Amino acid sequence: MEYLVFQILPYITITIFVLGVMYRLGKWASARIVHNIVLTPAPDTVSGAAVNYVAEVGLFRSLFKGDKSLWAGAWLMHFALLNIIGGHIVGFAFLGEQFKFIGTSPELSKQLSDILGTSMGILIFVTLIYLLYRRLSITEVKHVSNPADYLLLFLLLSIVTAGNLMRLMPEYSIHYETAQAYIIQLATFQPVELHQSNILFTLHLLLVQLMLIVFPFSKLMHLFGMFAERWIINRPYVEPAPGLPGAKAGATTNTANVVSGGKTTSGGV
Amino acid sequence: MPNIEVNGQTIELDEDGFLVNTDQWTEEAAHYFAKEEGIEELTEEHWKLINYLRDYFFQFGIAPMIRKLCKETGFSLKQIYQLFPTGPAKGACKVAGLPKPTGCV
Amino acid sequence: MAENKYKAPGKANDSEMRALFIDPVPDDRKVEEALKHLKYLVEKYRPLMLAMESCTKCGHCAENCHTYLGTKDPNNIPTNRADLFRKAWKAAYTVEGKLFGGLVGAEPLSLDTINKMYSYFYQCNECRRCALVCPFGIDTCEVTFAGRQLLHWLGMVPKLQASVGAAMYRTGNHTGLPKPGLVDTCEFLEEEIVDETGVDIKIPVDKPESDVLYIPSSADFLLNPNTMMGAAKFFHYLGVNWTMSSEIAEAGNFGLLFDQRHTMRHNTMRLLNEAVKLGVKKIVWGECGHGWRTGKMYVPSMADRPIPVPIVHLHDETSHYIRTGQLKLNPEANNHPTTLHDPCNFGRACNLSEKLREVLTPCVSDFREMTPNRERNFCCGGGSAILYDDPVMYDLRIKFSAKKAEQVRATGIDQNGDGYLVAPCSICKAQLYPMVEEHKLGVEVKGLIDLVGTALYPPINE
Repeated sequence: MEYLVFQILPYITITIFVLGVMYRLGKWASARIVHNIVLTPAPDTVSGAAVNYVAEVGLFRSLFKGDKSLWAGAWLMHFALLNIIGGHIVGFAFLGEQFKFIGTSPELSKQLSDILGTSMGILIFVTLIYLLYRRLSITEVKHVSNPADYLLLFLLLSIVTAGNLMRLMPEYSIHYETAQAYIIQLATFQPVELHQSNILFTLHLLLVQLMLIVFPFSKLMHLFGMFAERWIINRPYVEPAPGLPGAKAGATTNTANVVSGGKTTSGGV
Repeated sequence: MPNIEVNGQTIELDEDGFLVNTDQWTEEAAHYFAKEEGIEELTEEHWKLINYLRDYFFQFGIAPMIRKLCKETGFSLKQIYQLFPTGPAKGACKVAGLPKPTGCV
Repeated sequence: MAENKYKAPGKANDSEMRALFIDPVPDDRKVEEALKHLKYLVEKYRPLMLAMESCTKCGHCAENCHTYLGTKDPNNIPTNRADLFRKAWKAAYTVEGKLFGGLVGAEPLSLDTINKMYSYFYQCNECRRCALVCPFGIDTCEVTFAGRQLLHWLGMVPKLQASVGAAMYRTGNHTGLPKPGLVDTCEFLEEEIVDETGVDIKIPVDKPESDVLYIPSSADFLLNPNTMMGAAKFFHYLGVNWTMSSEIAEAGNFGLLFDQRHTMRHNTMRLLNEAVKLGVKKIVWGECGHGWRTGKMYVPSMADRPIPVPIVHLHDETSHYIRTGQLKLNPEANNHPTTLHDPCNFGRACNLSEKLREVLTPCVSDFREMTPNRERNFCCGGGSAILYDDPVMYDLRIKFSAKKAEQVRATGIDQNGDGYLVAPCSICKAQLYPMVEEHKLGVEVKGLIDLVGTALYPPINE
């Protein structure tokens, strides 16, 4: 079992994840943006659109304007998730001593790392429970939910629970060194030799891999969908639509703006 | 398509109950449509509107603007609604055998 | 019959569909054909593909859709509307749908689903409020567009939309107004203006050597005379050399609403051709919401060749002349409490909301915003011309407008029975006339240019 989860499955997981995501993104990319469907009011400069784009993608502005409690649940969940993923990466890379770079001692860095990791773990657990509660309790959300929507929440909750228990119960914790060595062995295609292991760690890793395998075939693709869709409806409004027939052609005025919002072509006749 | 029989003549209707072919209209057909529209009896006032609509339609190929209908017949819009409960565009046109108005109306 | 399970508008019959160059698909082949069209549409249009593949079902769209708020029918929740496509797409064309089926919300397409599509894609107002509130910006309007396109190819189009399409071919406008009728109507309106102001203002049709081609909504010739008269007064006041064309007296383009391929392109080209024939220098678009969306946003990607002349909206013009001081208005001329209904297409698709206010505020003495407004406004309930008048669909239409009635009432303009509800869009007007009656609001529905025409200062009266 451990051999499968730690040695064999990771390669399968990564392959499916990468190829699956590429397949989906390729399918999206081969579909076209035929018409200009910018959502107005839209800025007409790239910097103006960038502000909107960042506010939407980074701060979930549309949700904030519409539903504060959903926004709080969703944004904090994603905030915690990003911190946790980032924490795993820098934690394994610098063995918990990453805060040295902002001037702390190695010991303080490890303590900070622990506090941050634990608090983010609890935060994501709480927000996921809220999102699950919301899905179960609000009539409209129940109406639109598929079994897979619940299953994904349970999957995330299980991953988070296993991770949190490893943090909170010292006998199940895994040292940074162990994880780092394991990742290096995997990445260099060497036989894996674990210095320590336990059932929660195995479960945690197994479930994470399961999530990565279903990722390209599930709504988790909304990670990329967000960026793609926002680029369609929150891009700068250019008159007429860029790259389409009719652009910059045959205007009787000296401007490129044939179909006009009236900035340049109003009046005069 | 539903057809009706009035005085032994078969008249073709569309799905909304309007005449398909305006030429098939007869006074008897008007009585039939009036009943469909919940009008008990066609009075002289009804006929004034119906005749105006038909005259206009044959001259210009369309039902007149509602304001023009009111002005030329002397009825207020409210009175027209009293005569034809579903209004000038739907009710009066149907009884007069005109096609159903299309567009954003 | 399965069809009767769902509330739906009356369908165009086979001969009406053939008039639109569509050979209706018989029931036993509908599923097979629909799947082909579905694959084609989803793989071609990226916004549609993204709507299929990246919704997380958070349900935020539900409480922001007036069709759901008005009916509480779960199928009217935007993401569930999109599910009519999404379930079939997943079942037929995705790995997860083939492997796990119902678990991931996949469901093979059936004739019943197609009938359900016909019902619910024609209960969508295509107002894009769901796109505004969706955290990912998924535009369910694009799904409705594609859904109606697919249904059109199967031969399933409401009689209203189909007869408008046919009238456009026949006469160049949606109401089927032939040139003699158009000329007579304009002459009648000229007399009306004389009665009202004492001034002889021409409403020209096919006038050679004109500078401006004005394309009105053809409903202005049947239902909204004040809008047509307002535009004529405005052009007269500024001394514009303008005309309308009997070849294209239509600002609307129902192609957007049921057939974005052939019909929309045909109507677009009809306009551009006419502009070249008349030799005008500019096209000015009348008060029509969806029409201006095609005019401003779709014409560049629809036109078969470079666009010969600038195309602007009437209220681009009015606001321009107000800003430059050439158009002076007297707010006391419209002494009524007034609110503005932002047509969805102006607010969320064409960026016209601010200009509407620039024009309206100098026209009226008591302007009150409704809440929400501008791009957050709710649709009138008639959007995308679901102006059906059979009792079942009419009842739905009135339910869709419940939110609008609530908004109007909250402004308090209806309290003395003399309020003005301004809606510069023919579909909105056609929807709001009965809506105002049904919800017993003491307001009168007005176009925006109507009020400009009344408020011109100094008055054009003799």
